[in-house]
Amino acid sequence: MTDMLRISIPLTVWIAAFSAVYGLQGIICSDLWRTAGLTTGQGRIALIVLGVAAVALQVAMQVLLRRPRFASPLPWVQRVATILAYVALVATLWSFLPVVSTSLCL
Amino acid sequence: MTDKPRMTALRLHKALYPIWRNDPGWKGVLTTVNNNTIGNMFIIGATGMFLAGGILAMLIRAQLASPRSAFMGPEIYNQIFTMHGTIMMFLFAIPFFEALTVFLLPGMLGTRDLAFPRLSSYGFWCYMIGSTIMIVALLAGVAPDGGWFMYPPLSSTAFSSGINADIWLLGISFIEISAIGAAIEVVVTVLRYRAVGMSLDKLPIFAWYMLVVAVMILTAFPPMILGSLILELERAFDMPFFQAEHGGDSLLWQHLFWLFGHPEVYIIFLPAAGVISMVLPVMARTTLLGYGWVVAAAISLAVLSFGLWVHHMFTTGIPHMGLAFFSAVSTLVAVPTGVQIFAWIGTLWKGRPEMHLPMLWILGFFVTFVMGGLTGVMVAMVPFDWQAHDSYFIVAHLHYVLIGGYVFPMIAGIYYWLPVLTGRKRFFRMGEVAFWLVMAGFHGTFLLLHWAGLLGMRRRIDVVEAGSGWELINLLASISGFVLAIGFGLVILDVAVNAFVAVRGRRNPWNAGTLEWATPIPGPAYNVASIPVVNSRYPLHDNPDLPVQIARGEGFLGEPVRNRRETLAVSVARGEPEFISVFPNNTIVPFVMAVVTSVMFMAPVFKWYSLMFIAAGGVTVLALVWAWANGSRRDEGLLDAGRGVFLPPHTEVAYPPGWWGSLFLLLADSVLFGSLLFGYAFLWTVAPNWPPPRILQTGIPGPVLALAGAALASGGIRLADRAIRAQGQPWPGLLASLAGLAALVAAAGTVFAGTTYNAHAYDATLWVIAGYVVFHAGIAGLMVLFLLGRIGAGYISSRRFGDARVVRLWIDYAVLAALIGLGGAWLPGVLS
Amino acid sequence: MVLAGCEERLSTVHPAGPAADTIATLWWVMLAGAAAIFLLVMVLLVLAFRKGEGPSGDDADKRRETLWIKGLGLGFTMTVLAALTAWGLSIGERLLPRPGPDVVAVGAEGRQWAWRFSYPDLPGRTTENVLHIPARRPVDVRITSADVIHSFWVPRLAGKLDAIPGHVNVLRLEAWEPGEYAGVSAEFSGAGYRTHRFTVVAHDAAAWNAFLTGELP
Ligand code: HEM
Ligand SMILES: [Cu+2]
Repeated sequence: MTDMLRISIPLTVWIAAFSAVYGLQGIICSDLWRTAGLTTGQGRIALIVLGVAAVALQVAMQVLLRRPRFASPLPWVQRVATILAYVALVATLWSFLPVVSTSLCL
Repeated sequence: MTDKPRMTALRLHKALYPIWRNDPGWKGVLTTVNNNTIGNMFIIGATGMFLAGGILAMLIRAQLASPRSAFMGPEIYNQIFTMHGTIMMFLFAIPFFEALTVFLLPGMLGTRDLAFPRLSSYGFWCYMIGSTIMIVALLAGVAPDGGWFMYPPLSSTAFSSGINADIWLLGISFIEISAIGAAIEVVVTVLRYRAVGMSLDKLPIFAWYMLVVAVMILTAFPPMILGSLILELERAFDMPFFQAEHGGDSLLWQHLFWLFGHPEVYIIFLPAAGVISMVLPVMARTTLLGYGWVVAAAISLAVLSFGLWVHHMFTTGIPHMGLAFFSAVSTLVAVPTGVQIFAWIGTLWKGRPEMHLPMLWILGFFVTFVMGGLTGVMVAMVPFDWQAHDSYFIVAHLHYVLIGGYVFPMIAGIYYWLPVLTGRKRFFRMGEVAFWLVMAGFHGTFLLLHWAGLLGMRRRIDVVEAGSGWELINLLASISGFVLAIGFGLVILDVAVNAFVAVRGRRNPWNAGTLEWATPIPGPAYNVASIPVVNSRYPLHDNPDLPVQIARGEGFLGEPVRNRRETLAVSVARGEPEFISVFPNNTIVPFVMAVVTSVMFMAPVFKWYSLMFIAAGGVTVLALVWAWANGSRRDEGLLDAGRGVFLPPHTEVAYPPGWWGSLFLLLADSVLFGSLLFGYAFLWTVAPNWPPPRILQTGIPGPVLALAGAALASGGIRLADRAIRAQGQPWPGLLASLAGLAALVAAAGTVFAGTTYNAHAYDATLWVIAGYVVFHAGIAGLMVLFLLGRIGAGYISSRRFGDARVVRLWIDYAVLAALIGLGGAWLPGVLS
Repeated sequence: MVLAGCEERLSTVHPAGPAADTIATLWWVMLAGAAAIFLLVMVLLVLAFRKGEGPSGDDADKRRETLWIKGLGLGFTMTVLAALTAWGLSIGERLLPRPGPDVVAVGAEGRQWAWRFSYPDLPGRTTENVLHIPARRPVDVRITSADVIHSFWVPRLAGKLDAIPGHVNVLRLEAWEPGEYAGVSAEFSGAGYRTHRFTVVAHDAAAWNAFLTGELP
């Protein structure tokens, strides 16, 4: 079962981060954000911070997965888990690009 | 043991057959729990639904053939296309691959049946009864008519006052039970029931795909089930989840629906990809290129597909950055798809492809699906989708991927796994003729419809108007549509004729390497006479004698000494033998339970709520009967599993199969709960008319009850568990647990007391959250009582405490749900 | 400019305004790209049926994985898709309703099965199923619904945007030339869906002024 977790965690973390960023974007463009006295500019900064944190988390998982403590004893599982960790990293970078390249609340 | 004389194949068959066979006659149909029988019935049922959906498609094409050919008014036409989409998606596409899986998976994995045979039966009957209800509704003229995605407010009472929408919401939810059931079975089967030595890297690739698909079903269906539930609550009790004036939002439905709906299309595509990954290498006389990459691609596809549901909502006015996230993931998801396509083409290059009928269909898949994938990438571009959305461009695109990416590979699979097809002369090449008719008919129907869409033809219109500029395209589409239908009809006829008439071919005519070819198909009820040991992905290539050795009982459990249905459970990663699983005998309980469940779901359509509660009681009782039948009243200790290995029975392991099943059911359950919390947060941030006029006051009693209840419930079951293992008294712990669960119910009660269920979407949501808590505390409480009964009846001992672990899991879940749910309900009161 | 006949009045590929035009260009480019990729895949598929087997063995398989999976599966698809995504998003950015000095605002409310249009510049004035706008000026249509979900779509001018109860969505339109442009509701709304239509009339500057002063009926 641990091997199943090794395989699935990085992408699960991606989908969690993705949901968090989308949720935060929703909040920033909602009345809640305005009534809290915050600006859209601050919103973008918050999004960038969250995005960077997500990337950092993915990088950390890359490192951890290679540690003997967390690596799989089965070489095949280790290889697939590594591929999927890369996928999650690329997915994080790819899907968070709009944070810095598109209009926030238009 | 090794020097005992080996049973011969025939003697072994004679010993196993009476243990595993179905009841004779018609009774056997209702009581069977055997995967081969159920798989067969399931395939026939799903094919029937394909025919039904196809007939509706023909009605659509007849209506749209020309401006003058329209013969239905919009009231009927709307039912026809809604039911066409609904039947094809829910009653054909998903059930058909489930059916194929039920049929094939145990054989591929070299085991005797799926993990929960009674669940196979229950799921199948839910499906058959539910499908029948939908068809009856269609014939009675009260079929759903709001389109297959049933957007409110159009589907709300104000605009759809008839029972049509209720039939969709309740009928489809009912049918989804079979999908969830099948998914749990597949996950546990792939993880635990395999040939010995079949480690994760040696799984047949189809099993990997199905594992992925099953987990996707468990995580994708719950949002839609929740959506259906709350829309039905709105329709029945006016709880305003989707009514803007009362703080609801129709966009919430769209989120919940597409949170299911997009993964759904990959749930449909991945089994087809699994079939291709099995069939194509055999057709090319080689092995799959990049097995590990393909597994990784399937998993990536699965997870990524949960991050693009909003691409169905590009025109709903979500801010561009929001759309951009989903546009980006929508293109990214094409990468693992591309990896698979190129891995398959690379496999063809690596081998020596031969042009058999399955290969022909796979080529048809490549041509069609690649085009569908390319148009898919186009509509992932936000601006282009603003034009293409809800036009015939989308209709064309979705049929390219569904028919090209799903139906064609499935036909390839059917021909591939019907080994009786080969080894005889075919007088008339009906299969080939059918193939070419389908290909010509399909592209004739749908290719130019893309263009009609770009010329402004909207989907779901009931007449092609004169002077619109789309008349010719539609005439061609209708004519081709009939050619397509004839082609599909011939395929079904061809398969049926071959299945019933053809002479038996030899075993393994394609010379494939996987275990399902180790027994003739249709295999005996026990699938494998003994559980084989494998050392590679293609055991039959390593050892051509394996089928004989299996039949002679040289694998595990080769001697049915205990005269009951036994199979082997293995460890997840390495496939080492762990325990002996004892399977249930033939039983009518699943069938009866499916019938009663259908009453429970259908009664509210007619607002017969007391009948609904009676049926719910019936389902509960039957579920208890079901659970009771499993187990043993004596310790058996280690049992001879053959080949010198001794293993405990499943009643004497800490985490029995029922625990694994519960774990994955709770995974689905937790996704449903998560969707509910998402809905709560979504309404709060996006819906109009928030914050609500009156916010729930937290008070002291509620949180105190919740915390105390949580501690008592979780602590109590742990005490009881320890007492059972130490041969002490479990009663105090179990009673404490019950008291704790009651306190959780009381805590939820304070939420009901502090809100008015239909005042505002906020109140309605809190009621559902609190109701969810009560429901789970109730289930956990029932389970505690059940456990008390089991202890009294002698089913529990210091070695047999697996039941207690199952109950512990459910209690812990109920506690967690209560803490999170009630906490979320009280939070705004605390903050304000 | 292509003059659209009766048969092309709902055509997205006969644009009559900048937004529809940009999207039509996007479509033609994507069509060309898709055709090229489709041909490539088909050629690779056909070539697989050449006579003779390739080299076998682990090394050969490694090389194949590099070519097919890392090269074509990952490298090729990711390059194409990254470029396309970036382009698509930049187009989307250009089509957004950004504030500007000469932007005209109008309101559109859909209901089963008609549209009512209103004009903030002309308070109290509403029109049924005919929307008046000035030509050659950016127009922001503020779209909402009185009952179920509808969608505001004038294919020759711009993409569609939904009318959702409780929400107001803003769509940027612009017509190059004065004239009439067909519009339809593009979200299924029940029995009268097919005939849920409207017309957009784009006026030249003089006629628009006349409309604003209430001189146009
Ligand atoms: C047998 C050949 C088929 C033909 C000729 C056909 C034709 C059509 C047509 C013309 C429509 C558009 C109806 C409208 O918008 O008014 C449609 C809708 C649809 N079709 Fe098919 N179809 C076929 C098979 C399938 C299959 C195999 C599937 C799925 C596995 C499928 C799934 C759908 C769905 C989901 C819709 C959308 C329904 C809606 O708008 O609510 N179709 N089909
Ligand atoms: Cu989708």
